[in-house]
Amino acid sequence: MTGTEISETIGADNARVMVDHLFRSRAGQMVAYLTRMLGPEHLDLAEEVTQEALLKALQNWPYTGIPNNPAGWLFRVARNSALDAIRHRTLTGEKSAELSAEHFRHAATPDDAELEERFRDDELRMVLMCCHPTLPQDARVALSLKTTGGFSVREIARAFLADEATIAQRLVRAKRQIRQSGIRFELPAGEDLDVRLDSALEVIYLMFNEGYAAQSGEDLVRQDLCGEALRLGRLLATSSVSTPQVHALVALMAFQAARLPARVDAAGELVVLEDQDRRQWDRGLIALGFHHFEMCAEGTSVTSYHVQAAIAATHARAEQGRATDWEQILELYDQLLQLSPSPVVELNRAVVVAKVNGPEAALAVLRQLEGNRALRNYYLLPAVQGQLLLEIGDKAGASEYLGRALDCPCSEPERRFLRRKLADAS
Amino acid sequence: MAKYMLLLYDNRANWTDISPDEMQKAIQKYKAWGDKLKKLGIYVSSHKLADDAGKVLRGRSGPRITDGPYSETKEVLGGYFMIEAPTYDDAVGHSRDCPHLEYGGTIEVRQIDPMVGSA
Repeated sequence: MTGTEISETIGADNARVMVDHLFRSRAGQMVAYLTRMLGPEHLDLAEEVTQEALLKALQNWPYTGIPNNPAGWLFRVARNSALDAIRHRTLTGEKSAELSAEHFRHAATPDDAELEERFRDDELRMVLMCCHPTLPQDARVALSLKTTGGFSVREIARAFLADEATIAQRLVRAKRQIRQSGIRFELPAGEDLDVRLDSALEVIYLMFNEGYAAQSGEDLVRQDLCGEALRLGRLLATSSVSTPQVHALVALMAFQAARLPARVDAAGELVVLEDQDRRQWDRGLIALGFHHFEMCAEGTSVTSYHVQAAIAATHARAEQGRATDWEQILELYDQLLQLSPSPVVELNRAVVVAKVNGPEAALAVLRQLEGNRALRNYYLLPAVQGQLLLEIGDKAGASEYLGRALDCPCSEPERRFLRRKLADAS
Repeated sequence: MAKYMLLLYDNRANWTDISPDEMQKAIQKYKAWGDKLKKLGIYVSSHKLADDAGKVLRGRSGPRITDGPYSETKEVLGGYFMIEAPTYDDAVGHSRDCPHLEYGGTIEVRQIDPMVGSA
């Protein structure tokens, strides 16, 4: 065995020892815990000492090996540096630091079993704080990814195609707003809870969609964003504040995420739903989806998340492309259009119209969407039109529309997919 | 078999704005490398040095003790590995795939003097 082979073998074993994204999820938990201890006005400090603890691990563990309880190690180091920082700030006469120090001293270090419970509660509060409706929506998403998701500024910037300075600014402003508005680290109740929960679901939905359909670049899917959105969704769904709507969103995300492995082929190319190898769908996620789908039916109101989850469930039930119940899906789209009318929903509905009533009927619907400002730079409208024209044998029309689609921004694999279609049309 | 010290120097500036995920990946690489040394049976020991600058003693006209040399330099001696290898080239070879280099660090390889002629 060569050196590289050995290190690869050990690397694989090692991956099992340290769970994927252990650091990322622990970072989120530590920031949440410390924010509760220090108060939301010291969110910066909480992030700082957490980052410091992780860096200490990076500087120690290569020499000492990974400790038996890595999470406990990180937690202890972060807690100690937070105490040091507070002592220092108290010495320099910072009033709020004095209060925090008092708070800290009285808080016993919980044992490991309690810790997990405590962490979950802290994270829940953190999500609801980051999604406070007084913060601008783009700040809510960035702040959630940064604090609960342990994403770096660079990673957030990459995910949202923004430059790092913009994201950094957004975070600074959000934190200032938290301080100025005196947003507390609490579990809201009543109407306040409803508003915050709605906002949190919006943020999670946005995060998931951003990961599911990357706007440009080489990655078709940003799995890490989808994974974090699903994790936050489940955190809410299994908490005391859960509602049927939360379950609906988690079901929707689980069904969609289940299809991710089949959405890209071995060569990194886009595979459309009909051509997907359904054996590659993630069974565990589909089961999770159905679990939450059942729970979402317990409420009395039907929300847009419910209908979208029902559409995704219908797809998940189909064993082969042919067995998909398109008529049922069309009915659900009609319902969705009533609940939350939008040109994007109309566009998706048209794809289903093509399945049920044929391409001509769908093209008639799509013609009405042309010129809609919201879809002006949306490559999917001309792409779908081009595809349907190809189906009815109008090659010239198909070329024109596929060409238009290529003029819109989209990811590289999508671009290559469109070029293949364009080649079919000539 | 002679013993060799691999002195790992860090440049702290390399670790700014690194995400938790990236840190975890780095640690896993270091661990895989350390495990490789153990598997080959050449690992002797490794230690992380404390983060302070240390003390330097200078002799001649009465010892003069100062703080460590690092405060002015960018690179800090973070820790060391001791390994066994038949030749310098082997020791260097085993250090070549250390992730430390990938992350912009420096490795100084020094042989422990085998004490020629000692009993």
